[in-house]
Amino acid sequence: MGSAFVAAFEILSFGAIIVLVVLGLGIIASMMGIFNFAQGEFVLLGAYITYLAYSHGLPVWVGMAAAPFLVGALGFVLEALIIRRFYAAPIVAMLGTYALGLIIRECVRGLIGGLYLSVPEPIGGSIDLGTVHISAWRFTIIVITILVMIGCYLLLSRTTFGLRVRATLENPALARASGVSTAAMYGTTFAFGAALAGLAGALLVPVFSLFADLGIRFLIQGFVAVMVGGVGSFIGPVAGAAVIGTLSAALPWVMAPVIADILVFVLAIVFIKFRPQGLLSGKGV
Amino acid sequence: MGATEQAVRTGIDEQPDISKAEHGAAATLTSQAKTPRRVLPIVEILVLLVAVFLPLVLQDYLTVFATRVIILALFALSFDLVWGYAGIMSFGQALFFGSAGYGVALLARDLNVTSIFLVLPAAMLIGLIFSLLLGCFLLLGRNPSSMIFVALGTLTGSYAADRLARGWYYLGGQNGIPSIPPMSLGSTDITEGPVYYYLALGILLVVYLLCRFLVRSQFGLALAGLRENEQRIAFFGYKAQHLKAIVFTVGGTIAGLAGGLYAFHEGFVWPNMLGVVISTQVVLYVLFGGSGTLIGAVIGTVIIEGVSFWLSDNYRDIWPIILGVLLLLVILFRPLGLISFVLGERERVGSFGGRAKGSSHAAP
Repeated sequence: MGSAFVAAFEILSFGAIIVLVVLGLGIIASMMGIFNFAQGEFVLLGAYITYLAYSHGLPVWVGMAAAPFLVGALGFVLEALIIRRFYAAPIVAMLGTYALGLIIRECVRGLIGGLYLSVPEPIGGSIDLGTVHISAWRFTIIVITILVMIGCYLLLSRTTFGLRVRATLENPALARASGVSTAAMYGTTFAFGAALAGLAGALLVPVFSLFADLGIRFLIQGFVAVMVGGVGSFIGPVAGAAVIGTLSAALPWVMAPVIADILVFVLAIVFIKFRPQGLLSGKGV
Repeated sequence: MGATEQAVRTGIDEQPDISKAEHGAAATLTSQAKTPRRVLPIVEILVLLVAVFLPLVLQDYLTVFATRVIILALFALSFDLVWGYAGIMSFGQALFFGSAGYGVALLARDLNVTSIFLVLPAAMLIGLIFSLLLGCFLLLGRNPSSMIFVALGTLTGSYAADRLARGWYYLGGQNGIPSIPPMSLGSTDITEGPVYYYLALGILLVVYLLCRFLVRSQFGLALAGLRENEQRIAFFGYKAQHLKAIVFTVGGTIAGLAGGLYAFHEGFVWPNMLGVVISTQVVLYVLFGGSGTLIGAVIGTVIIEGVSFWLSDNYRDIWPIILGVLLLLVILFRPLGLISFVLGERERVGSFGGRAKGSSHAAP
């Protein structure tokens, strides 16, 4: 009973991290039709900013609070300077964002070297539930993920801003005709997606520690999750992330980790092949 | 678009009456006669001349480096064929490169097979099988796959293979397979140095000529149409998905050949050879040099590897950053690569209609 609960918690907390990473990726892919290869590096930047704040003697949570805003601002600037030119050609966008990601990753690698740097958890210790102990920080990540998800959902479905974003997604020409500045919408959406990645990086750095290839680790998983969930809605990628995150955390408990790792990818690709529209095809927000 | 369409139409008209070989040769001849300034053959011959005489002036360790570049250029050629001509974004080309490398390494290690006449065909076969399986799965089917799906599918395949190789004890895990015995021809070993260099160069030349013939043939014509407007090619009655799968398999076979050569040249294989790093590196080579021109892939490889080697003493750390910036600049301002500075758009696409015009002059 106790170990089953611990396993379930582990699976849930890993799923939450994947959802957090995929949220930004999914929003950019769905709303703008761009598969952002630099998203992993936005995660890395969020982690790096947190580390930077910590190494300068500030409390860890200051860095965590600053990371989404700084990464979001960077995303906004990059969109205006570079990403904007890629909208017509999704494959070129992949390559262009890959180049951006390469630049960011190698800059960070130059700054931190090949080291694995650890950042302490801002909320340490564990929560005792009778006989089992669960990490308080991982529990906090789950709570924050749920809050961010609800926040994004409300933002997209209940506010005027969300309406404009969805209008831009649905029919850019008509949105422009109705007085929505689609360029501004794209810029804001990209910045928002980048900010979410920054937040994800900031939250997960105490769990995974900081290293230059941190982003790549999540990028491919994130892409697969977005495809499984279905591009074109907010709920789709989140559902995909939940499935992929749960699978990749749960399978190693029942089989050799190497096989489990690959099986997740194979299952996902086969699934996408036979259901290209994804789990939830454009339903919901 | 209009030019391609025209070219496609003439291509189909003349298909029954001439053999492909005649057509290819004649097209080159007539268009050479017609337009005096053709840059592509000049560039190709220059590159070939430099490549042939290079080992005579290089020191030994540089010849070894040059051999590696030649093999990587062969690998780049395979990606160029797939992306530059058929428009398939194969982000996992290293899967075929690496699996062939692992395959021949296992052959040499466990079965003691090192004869060049066995290992190189084996490498090609491995590349062919893997690319055929992956290509059929990703490209064929009732619904045509989206480009994004193919790109992510190949990327994921390469990433998964990398992870598998890292975790599989039989394949050496993280360390890969060290100290592969050298490739042998009869009773002599082919070790790194000028001999290996000329072997690799010879293979590159043969493959290059085959590819050049392929992309200038009727088949290449259909491919150019495929890249420009897939739907229209389908309306002409071509099975676009089959064409793509064939090119993907040819590309995989060439990548396998390059992987086999690379494994024996380096003397070891390691999981990175399968993974995302090499997969994206080959994309960089081709984009940088110029996709859709075979020579562009070769030039891109030579420039990137050469500069990287040259900078490795002082600027090792910032070189990847420079590479990223250069790549971004190329994508933004020179989407056709460096080769487009000397090569016109018309020549890049190729002059498929040359033979038709030539014969219409001759006929009356």
